[in-house]
Amino acid sequence: MLTALLLLLLTLPITGCWDRREMNELGIALGMGIDRVDDKYVVTVQVVKPGQVAEQKGATGAESPVVMYKSEGPTIYEAIRKMTTASPRKIYAAHLRVLLFGEALARQGIGNALDLLSRDYELRTDFYLLIARGATAQEALNVLTPLEKTPPNKLFRSIETSEKAWAPVVSISLDDFVNDIVSKGKNPIISGIRIVNPDEVGASTKNLNTIRPKVMLENDGIAVFRKDRLIGWMSEEESKGYNYITNNVHSTVGHISCPGGGKLALEVVDAHSKIGGKMVSGRPYLSVDVTVEQSVGEVECRIDLTKISTIQELEKRAENSLTRIIRHAIDAGQKKFKSDYFGFGNAIHRGHPKMWKQLQKDWDERFEDALVDVNVQIKIIRTGTITNSFMEEEE
Amino acid sequence: MGDNKVLGPNLQTAVQDNIAAMKQRLGDSDDLIVRELQSRAGGVRKGMALLFIDGLTEEKAIQQFIIEPLLQAGTDTAGSADNNEDPAKLLDYLNQSVLTAGQVTKVDKLENAADALINGNVILFVEGCAAALQMSMISWEHRAVNEPANQSVIRGPKEAFTENIRVNTALIRRIIKNPSVILKNQQIGKVTKTNVSVMYVKGIADETALQEVNKRLSLIDTDAILESGYIEEYIQDETVTLYPTVQNTERPDVVAAALLEGRIAILIEGTPHALIVPALFVQFLQSAEDYYQRADISSLLRILRYFGLFIAALVPALYIAITTFHQEMLPTQLLISLAAQREGVPFPAFIEALIMEATYEILREAGIRMPRAVGQAVSIVGTLVIGQAAVEAGIISASMIIVVSITAISNYVIPEFDMSIAVRITRFLFMGLAAAFGMYGIFIGMLALLLHLCSLRSFGVPYMAPVGPLTIQDQKDVLVRAPHPLMTRRPSMFSKLNPIRQRKAVRKSGQ
Repeated sequence: MLTALLLLLLTLPITGCWDRREMNELGIALGMGIDRVDDKYVVTVQVVKPGQVAEQKGATGAESPVVMYKSEGPTIYEAIRKMTTASPRKIYAAHLRVLLFGEALARQGIGNALDLLSRDYELRTDFYLLIARGATAQEALNVLTPLEKTPPNKLFRSIETSEKAWAPVVSISLDDFVNDIVSKGKNPIISGIRIVNPDEVGASTKNLNTIRPKVMLENDGIAVFRKDRLIGWMSEEESKGYNYITNNVHSTVGHISCPGGGKLALEVVDAHSKIGGKMVSGRPYLSVDVTVEQSVGEVECRIDLTKISTIQELEKRAENSLTRIIRHAIDAGQKKFKSDYFGFGNAIHRGHPKMWKQLQKDWDERFEDALVDVNVQIKIIRTGTITNSFMEEEE
Repeated sequence: MGDNKVLGPNLQTAVQDNIAAMKQRLGDSDDLIVRELQSRAGGVRKGMALLFIDGLTEEKAIQQFIIEPLLQAGTDTAGSADNNEDPAKLLDYLNQSVLTAGQVTKVDKLENAADALINGNVILFVEGCAAALQMSMISWEHRAVNEPANQSVIRGPKEAFTENIRVNTALIRRIIKNPSVILKNQQIGKVTKTNVSVMYVKGIADETALQEVNKRLSLIDTDAILESGYIEEYIQDETVTLYPTVQNTERPDVVAAALLEGRIAILIEGTPHALIVPALFVQFLQSAEDYYQRADISSLLRILRYFGLFIAALVPALYIAITTFHQEMLPTQLLISLAAQREGVPFPAFIEALIMEATYEILREAGIRMPRAVGQAVSIVGTLVIGQAAVEAGIISASMIIVVSITAISNYVIPEFDMSIAVRITRFLFMGLAAAFGMYGIFIGMLALLLHLCSLRSFGVPYMAPVGPLTIQDQKDVLVRAPHPLMTRRPSMFSKLNPIRQRKAVRKSGQ
């Protein structure tokens, strides 16, 4: 009994503790950027300085809240491990919030680079992928941001917020991307960010000491991929159409022109879409059904909102406008990029699995000459806290 | 009081011989008072002696109910003539016609007389009688009935037991006024001869459990019983466990409620703590007040207590496990802010937690033992040490202080002290497991603890009943406390004889 107890107790010091890490031994990486120079990967990792971020007494913004380590290697894993030569703490990537790719690398293909990130047990798969538009990932990470103390957190939060409030933005996590890349019926996309006014000062806290920081990061456009290679950028309107088609609009604001001239802004309260596909006489026949609930947000024209006929008129105009946006987005996919990043292929796969077997080999080509039926239904449900514009009442 | 089986020398006929023998038995103790007197009671003047222990008896009563009648007797000589011939009859005559004391019995052995003397009786020797009368004149100083010091309630009776067993049994009898409440007394402890009473309600208490209690009590063979803890350790089912299988309380209402559930109470002379058996795990998380407050409030508080139990046992362990093994479980912002607090802390989280927990335990122990007068000094030093200074010096992280504090406070929502001690010790075991194996260790520990708890028995009743084994009927009084009208049955594990507490309440509407 006693021996058994003793042996049991011995397991504590002998077998335990081997993967113990104290929190202050961790280099908590929030952002990672991957570029390629010649045949080597350049990995930049942004590690948070906890003392600077969790502000305690005396720690004012004099010191940068993050530190960036950079290293090169033939594989990403080697490059990351090599960072310990510069960093006192081992890079801990479980809390990675964003992973950036330089546009140049993205055009060459990012599939290989993603292998480590989905293979390693330490990483979670809920961080966002981003493409640094017209820049290297390193440059994009080299910008300090206001409000959110760490740049990766800023990127993470602004993607999340603006995805919910502004239609042209979409968030893509590692899981989403990998799912898209392995499915034959949808090509992946990744959101882009742009450096506004690229300048060296962005990397210093001086950038934050002005009311309007000179260098900033902005969500900008959606990168279109064929397999794992970037092939182009959607415009803002195409991005908007893309999100409507893929049922990714939570709330946004759009405008239509009034019957008598002037503009009227509509806020989307609720939007749902469904895509489908079938074959009609050897030609793919795709359908998009969108139902949107909107409310009148801003009126800059003379119009009588108290009349039901006015509302109906507005609904019709909004439907036309949205149909145009969606058609434009699909056109871009079919003609400009020649890539089905909407997932129509998957819709056919789900609806008609047998048919899909024949289509999947050359789906991208078949998609180009598919017929698309766009069906938009809009309901205006509210007009805000006033009915007619007070400019109208005045007269 | 006392049994008459004791062998030993008989009392002599000469008063002086008896006094000498008694003095020798008590080793000439100075608190033995001998009052010699001459009484004409019985017709003829005779030498008599009263013996009693100073401080255990009430001298006024002795004077009023013994000495006065003895000295004034003799005026009435009717029927006393023949008492001279038979000394035994003289004692009966004194008992029946002269003495006005309440409890009077005859003893004829020296040892019994000595026992009686020590228990606060007055012994009367009469010249020519080879026996003595013992008269109960017990009156020793004892504490009055006070409010309970440890198990206080907001609503409910505010009486607590005292050190006097008679007062205690009376407190219980005053709550359950029923002749079915049975009290059986015995003396345990060869030297201390401590009175131990077993109380139960006939017809509700389980006979086998009662026999088991009596058997275990009769097996105790020790010199001294000084407190209920002695008895508890002799009769408990399992010695090698942290968890109490005997409940103790200082509240008569708790004992009364237990008796009515079919449990058995053991009262011990000289302590304000009564023992209750069988005792189950869930009962250590029930407070007397649960039954006095409204059912909904009681239920919420009870759930809160289970939550507190969980915090007290596991939070430091979880903190250690998560911050040293599973940092990915924390939200990013929380991780960064915790990591910031740990910047510059020289110890691993486990050592840090151990230091703080140990400090707290020391403070707490000191708080109980220290003289009242220095209390403030200790608490100031304690606050500074455990609080500010350690953090400001950068030795301990602020979050650890929060963890230790919340743990310490949560520990006190457990109403029974025995259980809260058990939980305290369990916490250290879990901390060790967490430091070595992380969450994995904690879960292994929890499984082991659960198996251990399920293996315990308290006087034949599974310790985790009514949860494991599950009894649906009894769930009314586990996590929640059902309103009294709904609790129609007694707990099934205690009272197999008489399970119905009340018939279903029927209330006509509009009345």
